[in-house]
Amino acid sequence: MSQPDFLAEIRSARIEASPELRERVRALAVAVPPRPPRRQLPWRRWSLLLVPACAALALAGALAAGLATSGKHERAVVHGAAVRQAANPPVFSTATAPAGSAKSLGPLTPNGGGEAAPLPATPGRAQQYEADLTLRVKDLSAATKRALRLTRSFHGYVRSVDYGSGAASGTATLVLRVPIGSIQAAIVRFSALGTILDQHVSIRDVQPQLDKRFRQMQSLRDAIAKLQAELESPNLSAAERTKLENELVAARRRLVVLQRTQAQQRRAASFATASLQLHTAGKAVAPPHEPGRIGRALHRSGSILLDELKVLVYVLIVGAPLLALAALAFGTARLRRRHVEARLLAR
Amino acid sequence: MRRPRRRISHVHAVAEVPSFSSIVERHLDDVHGYIVYLTRDRGIAEDLTAETFEKALRLWPRFDPRRGSARTWLCQLARTTALDHFRAEDRRRRREGAYALEPPPIEEGLFGGLSPELEQALAALSAGEREVIALRVVLDLDGETAARVLGISVTACSTRLSRALKKLEERMGAYVAA
Repeated sequence: MSQPDFLAEIRSARIEASPELRERVRALAVAVPPRPPRRQLPWRRWSLLLVPACAALALAGALAAGLATSGKHERAVVHGAAVRQAANPPVFSTATAPAGSAKSLGPLTPNGGGEAAPLPATPGRAQQYEADLTLRVKDLSAATKRALRLTRSFHGYVRSVDYGSGAASGTATLVLRVPIGSIQAAIVRFSALGTILDQHVSIRDVQPQLDKRFRQMQSLRDAIAKLQAELESPNLSAAERTKLENELVAARRRLVVLQRTQAQQRRAASFATASLQLHTAGKAVAPPHEPGRIGRALHRSGSILLDELKVLVYVLIVGAPLLALAALAFGTARLRRRHVEARLLAR
Repeated sequence: MRRPRRRISHVHAVAEVPSFSSIVERHLDDVHGYIVYLTRDRGIAEDLTAETFEKALRLWPRFDPRRGSARTWLCQLARTTALDHFRAEDRRRRREGAYALEPPPIEEGLFGGLSPELEQALAALSAGEREVIALRVVLDLDGETAARVLGISVTACSTRLSRALKKLEERMGAYVAA
């Protein structure tokens, strides 16, 4: 019998279920009415939907977080902001309030003409006085020379000058030392050189340091006097005398150091430092552009998305070997199952 | 003149979901015949057929007609049920130490009233060889569907079928010669 012949015979033969089996299976369907099948998406379609869904979720989360945190805004202190004539916020730096000082600190109030009423130094107290002025001037060279002349007129001196002038604009930076008693008048005269763009005054009271050092010096002097009196005693042994002399030398040495430091600090406090920045041709420093709420939100969202991406990459790097192992295990199990099936069906 | 608008139809038509009772009526014989070819035993085949439809009833909510026909789905369940039976038999034989048992004689008309030589030749094939003949020849499933039921590639399915038919032809030749 040829292949087509027995194939035709096999096809024509019909294996029917027995009536008992038929009834048995029908009874199953009737006894418990089955629920209608659910329409389910295949897993491949699920994975196609899952990836963009996760991406959309990550993006939405980043945007929401960016919007939520964009309200917090730290304003950087900008020095050198252009000062308008009408509203100039007072700028002053509070120092340690001098004990017993009756004067209260007031702000500098510049006007359009460039004059300022600077903070006065407290008489009778040692203070570290620093004033910073930024001015726009018409003629940089002339203004610089005038500033230097003014300094000398106040019996001050120039610590440093940095002068640079180009075709379009120029800047000069001067650090001047003026006797503290004249600093107020000096600032007024300096302000008249041009239009004030920025100003800052800082006063630090150093009198307590001087007082403390003075007390140390006094106690050293007392100690020296006492040692000298003891050395005059005739009843001292050689060892005692040597010890007292050594102590006397050390005390005198310490006193000299303290005196020197005291004098230096007094000298420094007797002069105030005035830093002048002179600019020409509209060198007003504009504050940096600060982004609005939406800009900050987008920037923050971008950072969050970047962090999410980093986490994803980290998870992929860490999880890749595990995924590979899982795939290997799955493949091995599948091969084994096929092998077992083949063995079972080989009988 | 304005061209009429064409309604864009869905690429994939929404498949009709048959009722469970209707698929029982339609495919009971096919499933039973398939299991008979697998097991070579009507009694066992009846039990396994009933078990298959019990399983189908339980899994009926998960059946998706877009993925394949109900017959294909039932054949897959039948195969799993038969393999579970074979595994259980294998374990039982190991426990009892009954390894080299001769297969029981086949009952008459097991494969639907074929000639004795053909029945003997079919019975002499392995379960795997009979299975592919049942799917491709008896149930007339196409190569792709049969491969899906068997869980192998289409090429492997074709190769298995041609080997089975060649073996059947050889056995037929031997019986006829005898």
